[in-house]
Amino acid sequence: MSNVNISKLKGIVGDAYVIDSPSEMAKYLKGQGKPAVVVLPASTSEVSSIVKLANEKNVKLGVGGAVVDTQGITGGIAMVMSRMNRLLEMDQLNLVAVVEPGLLHKEFLLKVAEFGLNFPPEPYEIETSSVGGCFAIGDSDSKSFEYGPTRTFLLGFEMVLPTGEILEIGNKCIKNVSGLDFIHFAVGSQGTFGIFTKLLVKLLPAPAAKKAVIGTFASMHKANAAFNTLIKRNVHPTRMNLINASLAKNAKPGTEGQLVIVDLQGFKESGKNIANEVASVLTLGGGSDVKIIEEGAEYDQVINGWLKVRAELNAKRSRTVEFVVGPMKMPQALAQLEALTGDLGAYPGVIVEGLLGYVCLALPEGTDKLDLATKVNKLAMSLGGNVKGLLGHKLKADVYNDAEMWKQTTSLLNELRQQFDPKGILNPGVSLEA
Amino acid sequence: MLSQAVVKRLKEIVGEKNVVTDKVGLLTYGYDGTLLSGEALGVVSPTTTEQVVEIVKLMNEHDIKLVPRGAGTNESGGTIPSEKSVVISFTKMTKIHEIDTENFVAVVEPGVINFDLQVELAKKNFYFPPDPSSFKASTIGGNLGECSGGPKCFKYGVTRDYMLGLEVVLPNGKVIQTGGRNFQSEPGYDLTRIIVGSEGILGLVTKVFVRILPIPRAKKTMLALYDKVEDASQTVADIVAAGIIPTTLELMDNLLINTTEDFTHAGLPRDAGAVLIIEVDGYQEDMDEQVKTIGEIASKIAKEFKVAQSAAEVDQIWTSRRSAFGSVARVRPSYGVNDITVPRSNFPKAIGGVLKVAKDFGVTIGVVAHAGDGNLHPLILFDQRNKEETETVHAAEQALCMMALDLDGTISGEHGIGLVKKKYLDKEFTPAAMEAFRKIKRSFDPSNRFNPGKIIDL
Repeated sequence: MSNVNISKLKGIVGDAYVIDSPSEMAKYLKGQGKPAVVVLPASTSEVSSIVKLANEKNVKLGVGGAVVDTQGITGGIAMVMSRMNRLLEMDQLNLVAVVEPGLLHKEFLLKVAEFGLNFPPEPYEIETSSVGGCFAIGDSDSKSFEYGPTRTFLLGFEMVLPTGEILEIGNKCIKNVSGLDFIHFAVGSQGTFGIFTKLLVKLLPAPAAKKAVIGTFASMHKANAAFNTLIKRNVHPTRMNLINASLAKNAKPGTEGQLVIVDLQGFKESGKNIANEVASVLTLGGGSDVKIIEEGAEYDQVINGWLKVRAELNAKRSRTVEFVVGPMKMPQALAQLEALTGDLGAYPGVIVEGLLGYVCLALPEGTDKLDLATKVNKLAMSLGGNVKGLLGHKLKADVYNDAEMWKQTTSLLNELRQQFDPKGILNPGVSLEA
Repeated sequence: MLSQAVVKRLKEIVGEKNVVTDKVGLLTYGYDGTLLSGEALGVVSPTTTEQVVEIVKLMNEHDIKLVPRGAGTNESGGTIPSEKSVVISFTKMTKIHEIDTENFVAVVEPGVINFDLQVELAKKNFYFPPDPSSFKASTIGGNLGECSGGPKCFKYGVTRDYMLGLEVVLPNGKVIQTGGRNFQSEPGYDLTRIIVGSEGILGLVTKVFVRILPIPRAKKTMLALYDKVEDASQTVADIVAAGIIPTTLELMDNLLINTTEDFTHAGLPRDAGAVLIIEVDGYQEDMDEQVKTIGEIASKIAKEFKVAQSAAEVDQIWTSRRSAFGSVARVRPSYGVNDITVPRSNFPKAIGGVLKVAKDFGVTIGVVAHAGDGNLHPLILFDQRNKEETETVHAAEQALCMMALDLDGTISGEHGIGLVKKKYLDKEFTPAAMEAFRKIKRSFDPSNRFNPGKIIDL
């Protein structure tokens, strides 16, 4: 049934780290696929040996930090990186950390904070996300306006290629344009170019002060109008986010209406003044219970509320539609969107990252995702944006009536993938088709 | 030589005056910021994406390579024509399609000069952070091709951090779009990132979506003077340790202080061992505290520290820095620019390494550096007409590159690889990494049609 050679795997990582009983495997897996085995390597050379073995036997291999997505790896190997979870180095002079991929994102954040430093990317999932996963997904998030997207924080890595070879690239220089930029190209490639086994992460000094301003709004539209006012006033907070009424309770229990969370990371003096400015703009814009939060624990609670909602939506990507428009076009976008979705406050889930013009919609049951995405994309394109990512590209090409461009893009993506993974072994569940 | 038929067809595509085939004309496109040169079969200057597509198809039919070029100010040899190639010059694609300050995006053609874009943006109180010292002449397409830096990288990053999307003509003549007007539009793989800095070997960029930012509300420019270069690097380390991220930490050594002073008369003391230009930006109310902290740090070692009191003073300081490369021509007719970069903590060692190379090879080296980034530009002064001296300079340059690599650094922080540093690339990258570059090149350009021989050989 399966070509997986369990005894060879045991020879590589030791008996205790090869798990093939379905009941014990379950906690490492998500999705509908049925891999034959879960394996937990402890070193780069073990990862390399496993990948070489998979190549020899033509076995599919899926990789995850704590949990592996099983799509496409039925009968294959699920590799869990959680034993490779060390912080290998914290270099304060160069503001760089060297970490193993299985280190949990939340634990990394604690270590970074201990050293008075800052790693801006948000965790994809609060409890189980790993640093390796963070860069494999390589997204942007609600702090990207200020700090840049996730890729900004990768200076280099060690990677096991789909053929089992080990590739090292990058250094601790914050400026490096040598060779082709494979360092940043690998970010977001979802493990299709290789498996990260070590990451050279760029850090920043921790901000001198953190504050949040929160408030609730009876309508999404009023909240967005307030965001526009802030942008016009040249105020660019670290985060400027909005959660619709249906989800707001998950972020902050007891919230009535749409919740606005403005995060201000920066200096003490300006922080005070900007917090006051934001609070008055929100109040004048129709917000109620507007509050400036200065106390650390309460600040963390508010931000964690946001991350929780964000993670809930990340967990059901197949049932969300994400799009981006110009930030100042958001009021128009939401008004037009309501013609498609009905009252946005009552919709199962809507979040807005106001500075980035980003919206994520959690779809009601029975909604045809592709149909809605197609309509949303048209709407977004008329406002300087599009549906996110690969799906967005396909829909854009449809709008341009340019099937050739879509074909050209996907053939390029597939050619790149094949150059790195000629046998199609690694993370076959990752699709480059939309 | 190009056949009459090809020349005729090129002229049909772009118009008579946009095709150069005469000897003198070709000569002027054979150079860039380096000391290398080459000769193309022809130069063609398209004005639209459609024309670029037609040119690519025509060249493919005749098996002629294409070498893209902006203003040709690069320091890597990235635009030197290779054998049997036509130069495709983007200097006539200069439209600024759109500046959308409300949504932080500008859409430009690749031939737009960085400075011209800055001027238009400044009218709206916006700017485009990457501003290499060549910004008055260099194009956005060229900045993109080399992934240029500039003095603001410590806080704001390099060109790649401001590229949101591209329109690209591939080596097979097909057009794709990468990215879009935001951070979320890459199609699965981050195609924009791999094209930025690829020196035109993967595709020809015909439209660029750039991220633009509001000009910071306030900035403060400071100047610290030192007896020794090493002292200046201590200030740099201390500022970073204090948790401050200046936009700029620019360093010039005594030689450069003197050559720029000959030219600009900015009033820098000629006996200083080094000068550090420090700039912070942000909100007005945060400036005093940062300036005070930096002043305390610098004054521990610096023999003089001052804060620029007027815009004119700031201009004066920057004129010195921006003219650093050109100013050395008064001393010797030629100079070789290096772009070595080391982890910040190794910066003092790198300075020591440069002094050692100068001594070992008996060459004159001036140092200008983006000290906060660990990025040094040692300028080796010489006379290109003297063959023996030129060879010594090449050997010294190689020693500088090896020194940077020994200090866990890179041979290029912001200039690119092109032809000049290609021979050292496999010293920096392992065979597996070199092979990864070739895999990428093969995916885009299996027949090696675009800018062949730059960065890597297939």
